[in-house]
Amino acid sequence: MKRRRVAPIVSALVGVVMAGLLVILITADPPQNADTFSPLLGQPAPAVVSTTLDDDAFDLARRKGSWVVLNFFNSTCVPCINEHDELLAFHAAQQNESEPAEMYTIINDDNDDAVREFFEKNDGEWDKVRDHDGAIAVSFGVARVPETWLIDPNGVVRTRIAGELTTGLLDEQLADLRRQFGS
Amino acid sequence: MNLRRASWLFMLVATVALLVVGVVRESGPLTQQDRIDAIAQRLACPTCSGESIYVSRASAAEALRAEIARQVAAGQRTDDEIIAYVEARFGGQVLLVPRATGLDALVWALPVAVLVAALAALTAAFVRWRRRDASLLSDDDRAIVAQALANNDD
Amino acid sequence: MFDDVGLTGALGRSLLLVGVVGSLFGALASVVVARSNDRGVARLVPRFAWLSFAAALGAFAVMEYAMITRDFSLEYVQKVGSTATPPLYNFAAVWSALEGSLLMWVLVLAGYVVAVYHWLRRRREDALGNWAMAVMFIVSMFFFLLSFGPANPFAAGAPGVTDGPGPNPLLQNHILVMFHPPMLYMGYVGFTVPFAFAIGALITGRVGEGWLLATRRWTLISWGLLTFGIVLGSWWSYEVLGWGGVWAWDPVENASLLPWLTGTAYIHSVLVQERRGMLRVWNLSLLVATFSLTILGTFLTRSGILNSVHAFSESDIGPWLLTFFALIVVVSIGLIGWRGDRLHAPGSIDSPLSREGAFLANNVLFSVFAFIVLLGTVFPLVVEALQDRTIVVGEPFFDRLAIPIGLATLTIMAIAPVLPWRKASMETLSQRLFWPAWCGVAALAISVVVGATGLVPLATFGLAGFAAGSALRQVVLATRRQGLRGFLGRTNGGMIVHLGVILIAVGLAASNSYTKSQELTLVTGQVASFAGHTFELIDITEETTDRWIAVRAHVSLDGGQAYAPAITKYTKMGMNVGTPSVRTGAFSDIYLTLEPPVRQDSNTAKIKVFIKPMILWLWVGGFMMGLGTLLALFPGRRRRPTDPVSAPVPDSAAAS
Repeated sequence: MKRRRVAPIVSALVGVVMAGLLVILITADPPQNADTFSPLLGQPAPAVVSTTLDDDAFDLARRKGSWVVLNFFNSTCVPCINEHDELLAFHAAQQNESEPAEMYTIINDDNDDAVREFFEKNDGEWDKVRDHDGAIAVSFGVARVPETWLIDPNGVVRTRIAGELTTGLLDEQLADLRRQFGS
Repeated sequence: MNLRRASWLFMLVATVALLVVGVVRESGPLTQQDRIDAIAQRLACPTCSGESIYVSRASAAEALRAEIARQVAAGQRTDDEIIAYVEARFGGQVLLVPRATGLDALVWALPVAVLVAALAALTAAFVRWRRRDASLLSDDDRAIVAQALANNDD
Repeated sequence: MFDDVGLTGALGRSLLLVGVVGSLFGALASVVVARSNDRGVARLVPRFAWLSFAAALGAFAVMEYAMITRDFSLEYVQKVGSTATPPLYNFAAVWSALEGSLLMWVLVLAGYVVAVYHWLRRRREDALGNWAMAVMFIVSMFFFLLSFGPANPFAAGAPGVTDGPGPNPLLQNHILVMFHPPMLYMGYVGFTVPFAFAIGALITGRVGEGWLLATRRWTLISWGLLTFGIVLGSWWSYEVLGWGGVWAWDPVENASLLPWLTGTAYIHSVLVQERRGMLRVWNLSLLVATFSLTILGTFLTRSGILNSVHAFSESDIGPWLLTFFALIVVVSIGLIGWRGDRLHAPGSIDSPLSREGAFLANNVLFSVFAFIVLLGTVFPLVVEALQDRTIVVGEPFFDRLAIPIGLATLTIMAIAPVLPWRKASMETLSQRLFWPAWCGVAALAISVVVGATGLVPLATFGLAGFAAGSALRQVVLATRRQGLRGFLGRTNGGMIVHLGVILIAVGLAASNSYTKSQELTLVTGQVASFAGHTFELIDITEETTDRWIAVRAHVSLDGGQAYAPAITKYTKMGMNVGTPSVRTGAFSDIYLTLEPPVRQDSNTAKIKVFIKPMILWLWVGGFMMGLGTLLALFPGRRRRPTDPVSAPVPDSAAAS
């Protein structure tokens, strides 16, 4: 009778599959957040029609002609609080430019009073826009705050920065874009 | 036909009839809320750990549910189009049901392949066992048995 | 090595070191005894076993002491301890995070080492048992090492800390935190025992002589505890999480399900080994797979590479666990490849339509299901490795594939108990399945009459009736023959377990297919209605303690008792937890959750109402599974060797 050789063959096969699994498990990294990619880059920005905290109308389409910075914000989110000084510095520096970029805060899942209180305590003289039902966040694909978006004078999305802004990052990004697109 | 066989036949007919009744009278067109829930169960909340937006109470999930409710109410997109809309903005990580194309299709194909392979292996084993058992008996043995049975009839 | 941990930390860590050394020498001694049967060395083995157990118990006690006295010099107490946590939850806080839960693992494992040694007392000279002890000691040593090294619960914390955030809020509001993790661990860790005996069998080249059958009892106990632990977890998630579900196919849940599936396959196929002497190598492989899956599952849930709502914090133990897993896999596959053919049994299975055939079908189904769950859980990692993009394999994938498997399982459960060994004729089947089939048709008719729709749920109900009829037939026959003793023994206990599974299948099918939900905005004094029930908001109250602020909406259901779903904000962690309120009924639950935003001084509240059918049947079914396992552990009727095991051959007159 032929000597049975099933066990070594099956074991070898299983071993190969296990080895593959081990390789995958060894090289796996904890899930990371995609930082700066978005399918909206280079596309016209989604429509944003809402009201500001001062109850004025806001329509993103009508801001064409200047660079627009949208900062998605929540008053209890720690990185948002941390980056606030950076936003103040950026806004101040822009006032010295010939064509300053416009800054808008999009309120994410927060109530009006808390936001007003935050800006009273910490300054910030730009408009804060309400986001009813989170519709603006959804149309931009924003899930976590803070996020900062740069939109060019033609209404095209150019940059997305997810997470807390580091010192000088926003100035640098805008300067590069201005050089690239000339304005 | 004896009573038992008739009973089995009756049971078979009754089962089919009951199933038909049950399937045919399935509730009519889904309500809007049902449609919203169905779509929400196919999308993952982008800030949570794999929960669907139907389940999660996070703010991003609420915002997405509101968006889906708006689009379903507008009635202009199909379920798949709404899902594609969300996927375009948040990336592939929001799809809870793996696609049926490309590498993702493996996750559907492999289970079927493994099941087929297992059944094939079992079938091969049964065939081998039957053949081996049959071959264990030689013709001489069969002749002896046949003769003994013939003798017993006396 | 001991930094500035103070006496408690130093004591705890030293005890762990004692455990490492004790297990190491226990393993060495067992190997020596296995090879040379040296009686002198053999006397040392129990001392090492008890030493390790004492060390584990001591370390756990020191940890509890530190937690109870709020000793914030330890980093772990800083992480999960708090002056505000009530005593019961504080006690349970020890196993609420990674390091402490590993300490519990070490304790349970050390306990099993001692228990196995005691169980082996009549077989001390058998090499197989000694090799098994060696394996137990080695696994125990690994976990002691983990606890001593990378997952050290006695590490020094930052100086000057006087309070902590307490355990995760979800682990602070329900008594089940005292039962679900320990029970789960006792089951999970218990699978080490049959694995150790499997390795012993492979090393010594002996599989017969009742060894594997004796370890069947250990497997059954672990399996029963794991089943109970999983059911408790589902109940907890239903009561606490507030989305009305019982199972989310979350990676951590899948990790506990995987060894359960292969364990179930083993419990059935080992009966084939007992009766026919076959499938020996397959059974060994199942035991090895079950234990490997417990280690793999632990790796997946504690290394941080998979997103999960259960996730423990990321830590360094990932590479250690993965190395251990690789080691187990290499050793086991090597041993099976080397010994497998020699252990192979020469018999054959005559016919697919037989008890053996049914058990084989069961094994195929459960193994394929285990493969599916494992595939779905690790597939995101595969895609990430090959194409560098993130995907999620969520509930819809698992649900869709679980349905055909569930239906096939119910079918086998219906037919298998009536199948004789070796070979069945259609005549036998048609005779024995007659009344169970009527039960199935009756169940289907009742379902249709009460208004159930949909092919899958109706098929489930019909097959469930069929399977229940089969199980009941067996129990009725047994009790008729033996009275109350007819409930004992593995066949009859097994039938009770099957009945439990059937109840769970019915509960799942009904609640997954027929749940209705609606969001209602309630205004005090006005009555809203949905699905034949009325809801009236009585008032909204707020309760503040030093741990949390709870806003509750009191809703009167059908004009009667008030149910109070709540949103609780845990002040120290800044986390909002929704707590549902449930009215349990025999055939449906009414499940209320409170939706944000809600304020105490307003007169409106947004609630979500779920009408969930047949949820109670899930818990009753789970209880029956536990009861059945207990009954199955009793010895049943002693079978006389001359009793026939096949069905009587019918007269040719019956074939008309």
